[in-house]
Amino acid sequence: MSRAANAVDFWRGFALIEIFVNHIPGNFYEHFTHKALSQSDSAELFVFLAGWSLTHVVGPPDDPRPTPRLIGRLFLRAGTLYAAHMVIVMLAIAMLAVSARWFDNPLILEWFNAAAVFYDPVDTHVGLVLLTHQLGYFDILPLYVVLLMASPGIALIHRRWPNALLPLSFALWFGALVTETTFRTWPSEGEWFFNPLCWQFDFVLGFLLARATGPGGRVRRHLTALRWVAIPLVVVAAVLRVKGIAVDPTRVPEPHLLFVDAKSFLSPLRLVQFLLLVTALSGLYPHIARWAGPLTGALSLLGRNSLLVFCIGSILSLAGQIGRFAVRGGLLFDTVFVLAGVAVLFTAARAADWWERTR
Amino acid sequence: MNSLVPILVVLVALITGVSTPRAAEENTPAMAPIPPECVAPGAEVASIAPLPAIAKAMSERKKVVALAIGGSALGVGRRGGDYYTLVESFLEQTFKGLDVVIVQRGVSGELARDAAERIKLETARSQPDVVFWQVGTADALAGVDPQEFGETLRDTIRWLREHDVDTVLIGLHYSRALARDPHYQAVRGKVVEVAKTENVLRISRYEVMETLAKIQQSGRLPESDTELTATSYNCMAEYLARSLATGIFGRAKITPPARSPDKR
Repeated sequence: MSRAANAVDFWRGFALIEIFVNHIPGNFYEHFTHKALSQSDSAELFVFLAGWSLTHVVGPPDDPRPTPRLIGRLFLRAGTLYAAHMVIVMLAIAMLAVSARWFDNPLILEWFNAAAVFYDPVDTHVGLVLLTHQLGYFDILPLYVVLLMASPGIALIHRRWPNALLPLSFALWFGALVTETTFRTWPSEGEWFFNPLCWQFDFVLGFLLARATGPGGRVRRHLTALRWVAIPLVVVAAVLRVKGIAVDPTRVPEPHLLFVDAKSFLSPLRLVQFLLLVTALSGLYPHIARWAGPLTGALSLLGRNSLLVFCIGSILSLAGQIGRFAVRGGLLFDTVFVLAGVAVLFTAARAADWWERTR
Repeated sequence: MNSLVPILVVLVALITGVSTPRAAEENTPAMAPIPPECVAPGAEVASIAPLPAIAKAMSERKKVVALAIGGSALGVGRRGGDYYTLVESFLEQTFKGLDVVIVQRGVSGELARDAAERIKLETARSQPDVVFWQVGTADALAGVDPQEFGETLRDTIRWLREHDVDTVLIGLHYSRALARDPHYQAVRGKVVEVAKTENVLRISRYEVMETLAKIQQSGRLPESDTELTATSYNCMAEYLARSLATGIFGRAKITPPARSPDKR
């Protein structure tokens, strides 16, 4: 039996649609995702909700999941994500290769950071398996795999020392920002697009705020007051975003990453704006459910089949990029492709739901 | 404004790999000969432009920091190290005692607008003297409006100049399939135009690759477009290194860049 529509699945479904649209750069509809009005984007929401879901895996304080089963389940989930990542990466590489042949154009081989796969295949295939080489737009699952591999540690620290997790996670995030420490890529020299040392903080915040005790409980008790603070700040941030007002990274004091918009390092500016946005919109779901029930049902359907939808969405986004190249983009193509893509995502999610119900 | 004469002098220097402008000859170490697979007779391989930030870094610190952005492919390893390593070692061998550090932050297939944002952040992080920016191919393939692309390019070059950072543009790839594609050519033209109006060094990858493609029949060059693209990375590294060296040698003869009108 599939679980009923709920706020977490709804917002996860929302993030999945946005990720699909945003991963076709240049398409008309990316101007209508929330990043147009926000310093943070759907990536922060996706990782935050992944942390939120960890709470349900860990279990409530009065009935926690046994430790061996918890560790086994989290590692198994990490393995599933790793396998899914490998499958979509190989599909993407094949799609680029076929397209290069079809259009007689080797430049397509270089999209999505795939050049190294074709021009330096020996080392790069090792890098793909080790997650040290990532295709562009196929870089959030490696982060997710690392976070899930770390999640038994997160859960066990929280069980043993519940008040230590937040300061530990904060210290790791802050330390990585100050020292600019990150995961390196190989064989191409560079850095991971999503620095796990920083993004773990978003994940841990999701985990802690989902709980009725500790920081989550304290935030819930003062949510109304916090919302009154958050709403005007979110509006100001939106105005700055629309007007394109941003700090010059070279004009801020060191360490620079504490003061600039740096997605890879989940800089404070992005994280604070995201938390304000969550606070401002946290009470919205019941109203949407009341006035637009089918919408909450539909997005929750996507959200509860998130891995499948994410994988298909990633492949469709790549197909969209290739399609835009083939027909040179345009509003008509963007409209047809985005609508068809969303329809495919819903069909796949519904099929997965049906499979789950009938097996 | 560039004049034709120094361009021709530099082109000859780049193609032969043995000569530089006379004014700089006395202090100019000989450059290693250009690899035979990269010799593209008649092709304009680079424009000439001043590199004041590099020159200043060399004279004051004996160290040049370069930020490589916009495409990781130039960093892909092939035959004894990656291509930026080739640039690094070429410059260090040419200028004795010079320490060249290349910070690679390239992502192949990245659009100019995304790279432009990262350039600002990476400039703060790495404090480079020069940015090597591979630009245009991804935008052309993604159907980005050439006008919008050109504005992004121009704004970023000006921003870098305001922050005392030189820019080297590495232009679009050549592909037979796109030789008559109006959009691709429009983006290519925009790179040429912006490099000229902003007076920055541009490596003419397209022109070189086109010439190499035409002489493929000689048998010493790869036959497919894919192999040609792979070869071009090696050649671009060669040309980039030589262009920088030539630009530095010839700096005394080049007028300083015009300051941008919207200087903040």
